Amino acid sequence: MIATLGHISILLALFAALCGIVSPILAARSAQARYLEIARYAIFAQFILVTLAAATLIYGLVATDFSIKYVAFNTTRATPVYYRITGLWGALEGSLLLWEWILIIFSGVTAWIYRERHKETLPWVIMIFSIVSAFFLVVLAFLSNPFEAISPVPADGRGLNPLLEDANMMTHPPLLYTGFVGLTVPYAFAMAALITGKLDGAWIVSTRRWTIIAWFFLTAGNLVGAWWSYHVLGWGGYWAWDPVENAAFMPWLPATAFLHSIQVQERRSMLKVWNLSLIIIAFSLTIFGTFLTRSGIISSIHAFSSGPVGGFFLVFLAVILLASFGLLAYRADMLKEQPELDSMVSRESAFLLNNIVLVSALFTIFLGTIFPLISEAVAGVQVSVGAPYFNSVTVPLFLLLVFLMGVGPMIAWRRASWDNLRRNFLWPALGSLVFGLALFVWKVKEFLPLLGFTLLAFVVLTIVYDTALALRARKRIAGEGIIRGIITLARRNQRRYGGLIVHLGVVLIILGIAGSMTYSLEKEATLALKQELQIGNYRILFEGLKGSRQPTHFRVEGAFRVFHNGNDDGILTPALKFFPTQQSPIGRAVHQSSLSEDIYLILSGFSEVDRNQATLKALVRPLVIWMWIGGFVIAFGTLICIWPMKKTEPSET
Amino acid sequence: MKKNRRFLIGAVIILAALSYMIYGGMQEAIVYFVTPSELKAKDHAPTEKFLRMGGMVVKGSMKKDLATLTYRFDLTDGGATFPVFFKGVPPDLFTEGKGAVVEGRIGADGVFKATTIMAKHAEDYSPHANGKPPANSFVPAEEARAK
Repeated sequence: MIATLGHISILLALFAALCGIVSPILAARSAQARYLEIARYAIFAQFILVTLAAATLIYGLVATDFSIKYVAFNTTRATPVYYRITGLWGALEGSLLLWEWILIIFSGVTAWIYRERHKETLPWVIMIFSIVSAFFLVVLAFLSNPFEAISPVPADGRGLNPLLEDANMMTHPPLLYTGFVGLTVPYAFAMAALITGKLDGAWIVSTRRWTIIAWFFLTAGNLVGAWWSYHVLGWGGYWAWDPVENAAFMPWLPATAFLHSIQVQERRSMLKVWNLSLIIIAFSLTIFGTFLTRSGIISSIHAFSSGPVGGFFLVFLAVILLASFGLLAYRADMLKEQPELDSMVSRESAFLLNNIVLVSALFTIFLGTIFPLISEAVAGVQVSVGAPYFNSVTVPLFLLLVFLMGVGPMIAWRRASWDNLRRNFLWPALGSLVFGLALFVWKVKEFLPLLGFTLLAFVVLTIVYDTALALRARKRIAGEGIIRGIITLARRNQRRYGGLIVHLGVVLIILGIAGSMTYSLEKEATLALKQELQIGNYRILFEGLKGSRQPTHFRVEGAFRVFHNGNDDGILTPALKFFPTQQSPIGRAVHQSSLSEDIYLILSGFSEVDRNQATLKALVRPLVIWMWIGGFVIAFGTLICIWPMKKTEPSET
Repeated sequence: MKKNRRFLIGAVIILAALSYMIYGGMQEAIVYFVTPSELKAKDHAPTEKFLRMGGMVVKGSMKKDLATLTYRFDLTDGGATFPVFFKGVPPDLFTEGKGAVVEGRIGADGVFKATTIMAKHAEDYSPHANGKPPANSFVPAEEARAK
């Protein structure tokens, strides 16, 4: 019954989306304002209808209406309400609906906020939104219907994949989707600018905040994914260069490049074509990512079952690329005029280099991700590209990026003088060299980690030094103390100081990655009762096994007492979960974090005969916690960037 | 056109560096996907190549020694079987009669020395429906036909 309601909402929303596509064209042809009204209503109608459809499916999941196939496949009567709701994005059909829902929320909010402004471009923005929305609605209505009925109605559902029963299921997919979909806003404004020919860069100013928000959600989505992988998947890693992880990460690269290069356009009216291309690529990659994830073309733990959806996505992707770049070529004449680079030693060129590095990273990751497809299609040889490829290619690029992160924000626009260079970089450079030398003497002997840590220190020192100089000036001018001064500076130039805080967050994340990539320890052993395992500074004592019945599964956990440098740090209990629907157990690893390192325990087996033997895998992973701390720092910096404070930023719209 | 030439030189340098990195990276990280049948057909000569072999763990072939954490088992694709040796902790989903993918090299004794075992499974994890394997399992099609 409710399934019909959901399906009808989808069909009506599709009709509204078609109105949203057609009416701006009619408006442009006939110059009649009522068509513009229709366009706006079309967006709001989609907003209401898709929200209704999503609410219907959530209701079906919570009320365990097993007459809906999707509900039957993704919940059971025993599933807690929490995971019934997250079942919305537990499989293909539901996650497409979630995507469409977020898209239409973004569209609705955009259309509402800009209802009085951008009179000329807004109809076209609505048209772009409606095109994307219509695509998803067609998929939802005809190819991958979340409201499909099942008969006979099963007595109980089959339930979510046990790996997905985790608290992060509430955060990771919605965050990532919000990031993906958020990129549609700058894309839609860019396309509208191309269509109307208003290419002065107003589209960049009006979407700046949206881009920052989308970027933040992309970052957060990827980080939470890494965290999830780290603490749930039980292999002690947070990133495997899995094709689907790559799909989620790839849009982040052009989005990051875009955030930097639009500053060059705002300031110097350069890079117009480049910026348009970047946002087209970033948006296309979100669609490509869904294609990779949902078509099952590359086997991956994330990939859902294959179906006609994959091919349809590919067609849509081709249409987007052709239409967008076609439009760009059509407007090429209007984009020609722009000033040239004054000097290689300038902020423009630092940002340009940052863009080249980011796009290079994107290219190498893209190539590695699709190489198996190319190889099989062209040569008929099945291959896979392992993590070593991605590491060896991206590590140098990211180190270069870290260096630029130190240089970019401090170097002068147009042409940096020796004076500027000396004032901003002499002390930070010397400081980081001393730091690197100290690290070398103390512990770090390998080249790449040493270079990495030194560059990270360089970035931190440039930021601290620059802020200190500014604070000294505040003290001299207004007699402000440190705290008061920092507040004034941040208020006066939100984007700059917010951006610098984000940079500090990125530094922390890279610190965590570098530490755990370089200095991890790993050991495995089968332990009898009261036996010990020594790893690094840790001694792990096996104290026994315990079984317990949980609502959805049977759980066997091992008790391991952890001694760190001889101190008793308490008991860790890695577990194995046995689900009745699964033939093999699901591991539940546990870890104990400190600022310097994590101890990570995985119970990988136990002897069933006498139950006093456990096979344990132990890992020591240094500095991992800084990745998650860095995430919070980025969130804080982003907040400072986008916090609305009109009077300090008159150019902000 | 001084500016154009500089631009060109820059582009060439970047492209060259990038190609070199990609080529070097691929050399050490590319993994060839093979089936037990293909390996048997090649007379299982020891090879330097890093391989990834997918198949099903033959029931009754698993010999594990928990004290030393060593595993010996046969992988089959329905046609041929190939012996595998692994030292370490396999993933949770690794068990007899299930699909598994191993990565490693073939040793001089003709046994596949696996450094990694993957026992991935599809999101859609129902037991084989209508006699077909789940859509994304690593079990090759031959195995499905052999069943």
